[in-house]
Amino acid sequence: MSPVKGVARGAAVTFLSLVVLIPFAALITNAFNGGVSGFWSAVTAKESLHAIGLTFFCATLGSALNSAAGLATAWVLVRDRFWGQGLLNALIDLPFALPTVVAGVTLYALYGPLSPIHLSLTGTWIGITLAIMFVTLPFTVRAVQPVLETMTFTAQAAAATLGASPIRIFKTITLPALAPSLLAGTGLAFARAIGEYGSVVFISNNLPYKTELASSYIFSLTSSSQNTAASAVSLALLVVAMALLGLFSVLSYHFSRGNR
Amino acid sequence: MKRSPLTLRVAVLTYVGLLIGLPLFFVFQQTFSRGFGVLWQALNDQQMDAAMILSAKVALVAVPLNVLFGVGTSLWIVRSPSRITTVLDRLIDIPLAISPIIVGLVLMLAYGQNGWFGQTFASWGWNIMFSYPGIVIASIFVSLPLVSRQVIPLLREVGTHAEETAATLGAGPWRIFFTITLRSITWATAYGVTLTLARVIGEYGAVLVVSGNIALVTQTLTLNIGANFDNFNNYQGFVGSAVLALSSIIILSMLSIARNRERKRHEYLA
Amino acid sequence: MSIWLKNISKTFGSDSVLTDVTQEIPEGSLTAMLGPSGSGKSTLLRIIAGLEKADSGLVEINGRDVSSVPVRGRNIGFCFQDYAPFNQLNVFDNIAYGLKVKKLSKTQIRQEVAELLALVRLDEYADRYPRQLSGGQRQRMALARALAIKPTVLLLDEPFAALDAQVGAEMRQWVRSLQHQLGITTIVVTHNQSEAMEMADQLIILNEGRIVQAGTPAEVYEFPKDEFVHSFLGPITTFEGTALRPHHIEFCDAGQGVGVEIVDVLHLGFEVRVTVKSSDGALTWVQLTHDEAQRKSFANGDFVTIRKRIS
Repeated sequence: MSPVKGVARGAAVTFLSLVVLIPFAALITNAFNGGVSGFWSAVTAKESLHAIGLTFFCATLGSALNSAAGLATAWVLVRDRFWGQGLLNALIDLPFALPTVVAGVTLYALYGPLSPIHLSLTGTWIGITLAIMFVTLPFTVRAVQPVLETMTFTAQAAAATLGASPIRIFKTITLPALAPSLLAGTGLAFARAIGEYGSVVFISNNLPYKTELASSYIFSLTSSSQNTAASAVSLALLVVAMALLGLFSVLSYHFSRGNR
Repeated sequence: MKRSPLTLRVAVLTYVGLLIGLPLFFVFQQTFSRGFGVLWQALNDQQMDAAMILSAKVALVAVPLNVLFGVGTSLWIVRSPSRITTVLDRLIDIPLAISPIIVGLVLMLAYGQNGWFGQTFASWGWNIMFSYPGIVIASIFVSLPLVSRQVIPLLREVGTHAEETAATLGAGPWRIFFTITLRSITWATAYGVTLTLARVIGEYGAVLVVSGNIALVTQTLTLNIGANFDNFNNYQGFVGSAVLALSSIIILSMLSIARNRERKRHEYLA
Repeated sequence: MSIWLKNISKTFGSDSVLTDVTQEIPEGSLTAMLGPSGSGKSTLLRIIAGLEKADSGLVEINGRDVSSVPVRGRNIGFCFQDYAPFNQLNVFDNIAYGLKVKKLSKTQIRQEVAELLALVRLDEYADRYPRQLSGGQRQRMALARALAIKPTVLLLDEPFAALDAQVGAEMRQWVRSLQHQLGITTIVVTHNQSEAMEMADQLIILNEGRIVQAGTPAEVYEFPKDEFVHSFLGPITTFEGTALRPHHIEFCDAGQGVGVEIVDVLHLGFEVRVTVKSSDGALTWVQLTHDEAQRKSFANGDFVTIRKRIS
């Protein structure tokens, strides 16, 4: 290996360590500063459980809804031709590119106490879920879109010749073929939703035990220098999120049976 | 081309229009609702201007560093796979799945005043937390995989045949790298760079924790917007939002161009 | 079940894909629709199946006008060029699909699918998934799937195009004997002339959206209606200004024909192709069997005599 490559690789690994590995090691150490019991009591504190529970509820609801909405949107983008399609395609990418805080304050202004349409969703799980749906729609759409684009639909035509109705064809042929990518996209959406902060913090109002999300709770712990508790709850959140993502992966693999 | 049922089309357009289009429209509507005079003043707000400059300075350092890291690691992972690279591949993806607040927390734990390296760095005169370097590191962290994720699949797909051919024609490794390899990943890298830029100037949670949100000193534009809304300076917040929304739209157009160029290259190959 | 196509026309945008196509397909026959790419044959097949709608004209199956019957009501077996496998289902479930739609009982389905698996010789592959099968096996699965619904008509769209030569040849023979055994009215669309000649009872030749000629392979080959059919169905060479089949030219003794110079001899296995140049520079090629060529011994530069074969 040339010395240049060696130095470059060393630099890359150092870079990665500084930015990712070391901070994570610090997290794990800090989480157990008070021992396992300290870790456990921080995670199971009432406020913590509530925040985590609410986070998972809204994340699941938002991603599930966007799973269906994403499929429908991708369908209309790929299998149709109409004026405004380009604009629709561009709008889908907006949440990817837009800073979360901009989404957050706008949604707060649009659906909050100053709402021009007299809709007050602040301090409700509905508002939170709405914000999550804003941020996660691109994930499901963009996951399914490429698969739809390369689908030849001859299998669907074959099913029609065998007597199947359009709904049956969708259920037995199209949906199973889209399942792996749809699940993958929903998984990404879910992961994003769990950790979301900027777009949800304004509309949620952060009421402890009511509309405080896990990320806000951790932030409040950090701001009050309760690093151990913050680390503990963060670690717990990460572990549960990873476990759920692993589940999504397994499901996705299961459904891609026919592609192997 | 089969047409999808009209109801589906209408439903989707309504959903996306209300969910995404409406807020976007609202930002600009609010910004221009008080006339150009007031708008101009708001754009010259000292705090916001300082914030914009800081955001730009952060991007100026964070994005190139990430591109270097991204392209280099991608080449390593694809062209010289080993056990290390499999681990590397997984590690790089981690930042994307983590809450930005947790990102801020872990950086603080490692480099904060009471953190592992915090005191070491402080003794060298480097203050990571509540300062510019910390913001840069946080920005790099949250955008770490964005370039690699675009470049890696492309490198895999393109394969080594072009590079091998160049070698048979007598080209040396550096020439091959610059004239063949880099050329093949240009638009994928451009796409990744654009995503990185968007992420860096748009980051909120991680920077919030790490910077201390000190107005005029460590307050980026996103933090500035949040602070304005917290202090009920809604209009000022909207102006800042409009600036960022506008840059998002520009970024989206750049993304779209990069994506189209990629597709053309694809068709040419296929 | 005989099929009657009456005055079928179809345009896609500004392209006229089919123009006034009228033809009968006799019951129980194996008909090949042959033509170059873009001749409209696939579109015609899809119209018969109900996957496309003709702009004008009608399709009659067994005397009944099915033009407005949707595809799933026509009881037609269709095999696509890419076999259209249901990738998420295993072979058994693929074949059983149409039977499930008909709501047959589980035992019935199991029995019928078992018979079909035996028929197409995929017995041991029932649990496999399409991606694990070879092209020929997927083809057989697609056929079994189509036959499961006991169709009145079987339509095959370029079924052997993607198979390699050996497998394709075996499949062609097998499909032909299967069709004879089952007696289902079958239409095969192909652009491969030898494939069509090999399989068909009746040949329909399409060009640019019209039926140019229809008849048995022998009829169409020996008595082509026009230049297009003549050259499409078999090799053509020019001799003394006329277009002829290369095997209709023979070598003879000097003085009985035209003197030519041999410029190329190609050994293609069974067939030997000799290219000759006449005094005015025109090139003609003559086709001989391997044995015939052996008896003569040709070399570049030889001067020989050829004439049109006297039957």
